[in-house]
Amino acid sequence: MNNKTGNRSETLLERLALDVIVTRLQAFTVPADALTWNRFFGALLLVLVVLIFLSGAFMAFYYSPSPGSAYDSVDYALFTLPFGDVIKGIHHYGWNLFLIVMGLHLLRGFIFGAYKPPRQFVWVSGIFIMLLVPAFVITGDLLPWDQKGYWSTQVRISIIESVPFVGDFAIRLLQGGPLTGIVALTRFYVLHILFLPCLLIFLLVVHFNFIGHRGLSGALSGEITPRPAVSFFPVMVNRWLILFLCVTLVLGLISWHWPAPLGDPADPTDSTYVPKPEWWVLFLNQLVTIFKGPWSVIGSVIIPGGLAGLLIALPFIDSSPERHPARRKKLMLVAAMIAIALVVLSIMGYLEHFRASHS
Amino acid sequence: MSKQKKIGFVLFLVLAFGVLLILNSHEVSGAAKQTVTVAKVKKAPGGLDDPAWQKAKAVNVPFEGKEKFAGKKTSVTTKAVYTEQEIYFLFAWKDATKSVTKGAWKYDGQKWSNQPGNEDRISLLFEINRINNFATKGCAVTCHIPEGAPNAKDGKFGTTSEAEKGDLWHWKAARSDPAGFADDTWITKISEKKGGRKSDAGKGGDKKNMTADKSMPMYTLAPGKKLAKNDILLVSHAVEITDYSVFTPGDTITFRMPNTPEGSRADIKAVSSYANGSWTVMLYRKLDTGNDDDVAFNPRKKYNFAMALFDDSGDEDSYDSEVITLQFSR
Repeated sequence: MNNKTGNRSETLLERLALDVIVTRLQAFTVPADALTWNRFFGALLLVLVVLIFLSGAFMAFYYSPSPGSAYDSVDYALFTLPFGDVIKGIHHYGWNLFLIVMGLHLLRGFIFGAYKPPRQFVWVSGIFIMLLVPAFVITGDLLPWDQKGYWSTQVRISIIESVPFVGDFAIRLLQGGPLTGIVALTRFYVLHILFLPCLLIFLLVVHFNFIGHRGLSGALSGEITPRPAVSFFPVMVNRWLILFLCVTLVLGLISWHWPAPLGDPADPTDSTYVPKPEWWVLFLNQLVTIFKGPWSVIGSVIIPGGLAGLLIALPFIDSSPERHPARRKKLMLVAAMIAIALVVLSIMGYLEHFRASHS
Repeated sequence: MSKQKKIGFVLFLVLAFGVLLILNSHEVSGAAKQTVTVAKVKKAPGGLDDPAWQKAKAVNVPFEGKEKFAGKKTSVTTKAVYTEQEIYFLFAWKDATKSVTKGAWKYDGQKWSNQPGNEDRISLLFEINRINNFATKGCAVTCHIPEGAPNAKDGKFGTTSEAEKGDLWHWKAARSDPAGFADDTWITKISEKKGGRKSDAGKGGDKKNMTADKSMPMYTLAPGKKLAKNDILLVSHAVEITDYSVFTPGDTITFRMPNTPEGSRADIKAVSSYANGSWTVMLYRKLDTGNDDDVAFNPRKKYNFAMALFDDSGDEDSYDSEVITLQFSR
């Protein structure tokens, strides 16, 4: 209180004109189990997206998107700049963790029937986010202009080129010509730091909008019971911030101890370099190895495209209200068979590409 | 524990396993290049047989002959360790002949003449600043380039731009080892008049021991001084010859007298031994000398280097290694 006037002093929030927003956020409630010990993959993915965006933005301060200087700029940021290795490591390990958590998020949603009505479009928007992720990796891998990134890009370009009708056009659009040079690097950079993040943010907004409207998946029994709610701010925001701090700390320590790898500078004349596929595309790589020549489109387009189509169509194929996995045996069996096939293909790919390194 | 919690726990374990898999898998990616791992030791090796070398994994690096050695092969067993301050390399290779004369003078009772024979050497090339394609092609882009290439001229060589700089360590059995050093040099862009090879800042190298008419030696061992290893006369131990009548037929005197290096040129110290038809050479240096003409080793980083071996031969006749990765264990 102001002693002279008797009027109440303005709080800091009021002075900043944020009081109304805070009051609204406090009044906004979300289910208490939206972020708990056994339901955290979605929140963890959001943490990782934020960390990847932030670390990427810091890296962009020092990155030079030109074949003559890209490698040196990354090398400088990684080994000379204070905490540069931690920033780069968070970006590198964050992506790898993102891929794992995204897979688990998908698996959990599948097992618990989280795609069932009324949440079909929560699932579909999530699948679109998942399908966008490889584009980040493809464009990001080239940026350090090292041997692995350059030659992995050549392999991917040859796969994209094999796609009927649109392959050549897609390559011209991506690279700006037949060779991977300065135009390609510039385009990959712009896609990686501008267009793809904007698209991802848009899809995340759509995803969260559907979650807001259709809610979280309920109990497996299908019983509709009132769920306890907590305020979005500060309860849910604080939980998320604790998760954010924990993940940042863990990734930071990992990055400090094991700096993110940076291979030799790209040498486009060194055709002896054989890039080894990332762990998460081993099965795709093996499909391309199995289906060769005129059949290559099966491994590069039809099977991966079919799997993506199945995932998108899943809520409409399996639209029964039954969510318990034990009572969806047929679907679980088909999914298990597909999963086993993917694991076997991945193991085959691992043995083919990595066994020689160990022997 | 409810069913949902159990499933959540299992998924969490899968997540942890996945993280471990990634941490281990990135080590195996990349092209097949030999890697020398620099082991961390608390106490610096005191010599060639120090127990500290047992911590380092020996890598047998193959070498292929060039010019007069074309078609021949040899190998060098390479080890490396580092302390908080310094990096140590240990090289061992078979060499049936110990060559340390480098044109030494010999008196036949009438006149002096230079003996045939050169010296054994080993050299290492690191990048100070990135040399284009050195990581994949090694010395093929700096030393063994075809005449007519932009960085080759009249048998001399260098890099193609001033931004590209290499650190050349050059151990010479006759001209640097007796002083206890390897010659510390660097390479940069080749110029119109000279090659791109430069000596590090400071004094060093060797001095030709000969009179103005080049017919006989000018210096001999100073009184009270001793010849260095391999009976080599050091510049610091030499005194001008005043009476040539003291020499008897069969006497020999060093022709190329090593200087004791100073400044940045004295960064790389050497210890060596020749026994049972093999050379064993230890080279060591500060990880970071603080000099612009030296590569600064950061144990968090990987480096590329290549080596050349000279068996009683000049610069053009050598055995060369492929490019090798140098990585530090932590």
